[in-house]
Amino acid sequence: MEVIYGLLPGMLILGVVGVVVFIWAVKTGQYDDLDGAGHRVLLDDEDEAEQNNEQEKLK
Amino acid sequence: MSATCYHCGLDLQAESTFSAVIGNSEKSFCCHGCQTVCQTIYDAGLASFYQKAPETQILTPPAEDFEYSDTSFYDLEEIQADYVNQQGEFNQIELLVENIHCAACVWLIEKSLNAQEGLEEAHVNFTTKRLKVAWRPKDLKLSKIFKLLQQIGYQATPFDSDEAEQQEIATHRQLVYRMAFAGFAMMNMLWVSIALYTGADQGEFKMWFYWISFIIATPTFLYAGYPFIKQGLGGLVRRQLTMDLPIAIGATVTYAYSTYVLLAPSSTGHIYFDTVVNFLFVILVGRYFEAAAKRKALSETHRLMTLQPKLATRIEAGESQVISIKTVKEGDIVLVKPGDSIPVDGKVISGESAVDESMLTGESIPIVKTVGEHVIAGSINTEGALKVQVEHILNQTALAKMLLLMAQAQQDKAPIQALADKVVPWFVLATISLAVVTFLIWYRIDVEKALLAATSVLIITCPCALGLATPMSMAIATGVAAKNGVILKSGMALQQLARVNHMIFDKTGTITQGKLSLCYSEPSEGDTAERLLQIAASLESYSEHPIATAIVREAKKKNLSLQVITHFQNVPGKGVSADIGQQHYYIGTQNYLEEIGVELAPKWLEMLQKCEQEAISTIFIVEDNVVSGMMGFRDKLRPDASLTIDTQRNEGLFVEVLSGDKKAVVKAMMKRLGGLNYQAELLPEDKVRFIKARQQQEKVIAMIGDGINDAAALTQADVGIAMSSGVGMAVEGADIVLPQNKLASLLVVKHLAEKTDKVIKQNLMLSLSYNIIMVPLAMMAMINPLVAAVTMPISSLFVIANASRIQTNKKASR
Repeated sequence: MEVIYGLLPGMLILGVVGVVVFIWAVKTGQYDDLDGAGHRVLLDDEDEAEQNNEQEKLK
Repeated sequence: MSATCYHCGLDLQAESTFSAVIGNSEKSFCCHGCQTVCQTIYDAGLASFYQKAPETQILTPPAEDFEYSDTSFYDLEEIQADYVNQQGEFNQIELLVENIHCAACVWLIEKSLNAQEGLEEAHVNFTTKRLKVAWRPKDLKLSKIFKLLQQIGYQATPFDSDEAEQQEIATHRQLVYRMAFAGFAMMNMLWVSIALYTGADQGEFKMWFYWISFIIATPTFLYAGYPFIKQGLGGLVRRQLTMDLPIAIGATVTYAYSTYVLLAPSSTGHIYFDTVVNFLFVILVGRYFEAAAKRKALSETHRLMTLQPKLATRIEAGESQVISIKTVKEGDIVLVKPGDSIPVDGKVISGESAVDESMLTGESIPIVKTVGEHVIAGSINTEGALKVQVEHILNQTALAKMLLLMAQAQQDKAPIQALADKVVPWFVLATISLAVVTFLIWYRIDVEKALLAATSVLIITCPCALGLATPMSMAIATGVAAKNGVILKSGMALQQLARVNHMIFDKTGTITQGKLSLCYSEPSEGDTAERLLQIAASLESYSEHPIATAIVREAKKKNLSLQVITHFQNVPGKGVSADIGQQHYYIGTQNYLEEIGVELAPKWLEMLQKCEQEAISTIFIVEDNVVSGMMGFRDKLRPDASLTIDTQRNEGLFVEVLSGDKKAVVKAMMKRLGGLNYQAELLPEDKVRFIKARQQQEKVIAMIGDGINDAAALTQADVGIAMSSGVGMAVEGADIVLPQNKLASLLVVKHLAEKTDKVIKQNLMLSLSYNIIMVPLAMMAMINPLVAAVTMPISSLFVIANASRIQTNKKASR
């Protein structure tokens, strides 16, 4: 069980890394617009297919 | 299924449909503006916008006449100085774009702007509806950016984020960091706790686990607990008992005791570092939600402030020029158009008008101002155009005082919340006394037990759940409302709305679309309809009444030029008068004509009657005291008007309609809505009087309206609700703003208000009963601090979970 002497500090260090990453994310504004980013991924393409689609719908 | 506009999705009216072939197929539009915008979007190759926009979402139709509006003043350096940041060869500006409502809007704006030459980057923040633009000033003018936005149907306002807001953001981030840190500490602490409670506190690793706990708890106590200790002690210094004090005492005592156990080798007690950490984390989460709710309210009012006049029209050597308010000097002369906010304090040197000073004085009826009288910045010019000589600007004006008032209004809390604040010091006092009593009772038996029991009492009574009950519910309700496009200006309004049992609607623009169209024009013999329209448009171009808009629009369609008028005067609810050359004209209702003593010939009366039976509103044009023509206007009911009103009546609300329109017209319309109670031919002040009378009958009144003539009535009612398509002023008198063209969202807000009220009461009951059960147990030393620290967050979680039921309400999310 002596492994605990190493595990616990390791856990703490990992935790601190997590906090640092979180604070960095907040500082760089990644939490400012929670709604937009998700949609933006889905909408970023403008291709011919969609326009053709529209024409087919009309036929 | 009725046909809808291809762009904005509004139902089409047969008599005013625009069609055009755009992108290989014929498409129909409700107005010229929608058609132009659609053409622009197709031309830019962004047609898939229409596939991306959610089908149910009605887009905001572009502003009337947006093609003519002038944006060139945005290129003036003094105006840019207020908003624009220079970064190398790029300029940066933050714009508030009001009508962004779906992800497709974000896409459309970014796509079309980024395609523009000279534009470096356009980035929309969907949550705050703000657009950040960076551009190269030598290749692109700022006014062009505004123009581009207008062409695709968006109105932008420059956004001046001030110091107060920056500070707000910084404080908020601090809170997030502290919460995150406490969260991290809590997660790690739990592992240690599990080990300790499953037997590690007996074995060889006991001290190691204790020390790890100490290492985690110490920074958490000092960093995450710092605001509580500071506030609690600070309050004590000011001889105030704050909510933070028991939290600080509880955390400090538990921490100090645990440290003592750790360091004193002879002690046999347990450590409670985990209690300290969990306790602080839960409280910080509560604080975070509270702050988020407050921040939302703040940014909403802040948004209103940025819409305050920051521009003025200065007249110099006969020429008018739009300039930034900062460059206006004392002694300058500024022009204030009807419907505009007056940007400065000053003296009227020409013109006559009624000015609404209700924002400053609470006097809801506009005050007539003539030459030589003083007007104050922030008040609203309702009738005629005024020329004002500047006396005070910016900080020296009454407007500055008004902003202060608005800042106070931001802190306006819901009545229940205000009550909670009054109770707090006594609550804290009781808490601490109970803890002391508990300590004294157990002291004689066992010091450790006494200390633990007292700490338990402090932690148990920590009014987290109580403190969360109202703000949490409010925050969620505001969120649900925002999702439905409804803006809640204060928590108070929502609570009032729950009690409302009497709904009063304005007719024009509220249950009807407010977009009158000229459907009937009858000149007197020997006259032409064209000349009639030209005269009417010349006069009405100075007014903001829906009839005026209809006339001016019609004239523009026919390319009629407007004539110069003088001595313009607006009599609200009746009509307007002015001179063209030597002739004096009146345009107004039959009542107005009676008032000025003009007789109507039988021929006119007959026609009038016929029109009224068809719910057509009529006005007469009088030239030198002789009737020279008559015009009729038709207004359509909103598609969701009858649904809204029927539902409310079925739910036992009393619904009435107030209108300034002619009795016969209103009657014809009310028949279609199933015979509603109505009052017709009311002036703005009559509406206020009417509402007052109803309030004396102990009715709680919600007034739903739009337009200048409702501003006073909205303020008088217990809850003022405005349609956002209305004139800016009415929105300022309102507590709740409904989204454009969606009257039915009123039902959503009403249900939301009732639900929220119920949930808040439940939450208060929940947290009170928790205290009533747990405090005696803690005093009997039957609960150790750890159990206390576990049950306390559970009670908070109950409150949060209960509050989030507001969100899942089927009716509210409809």
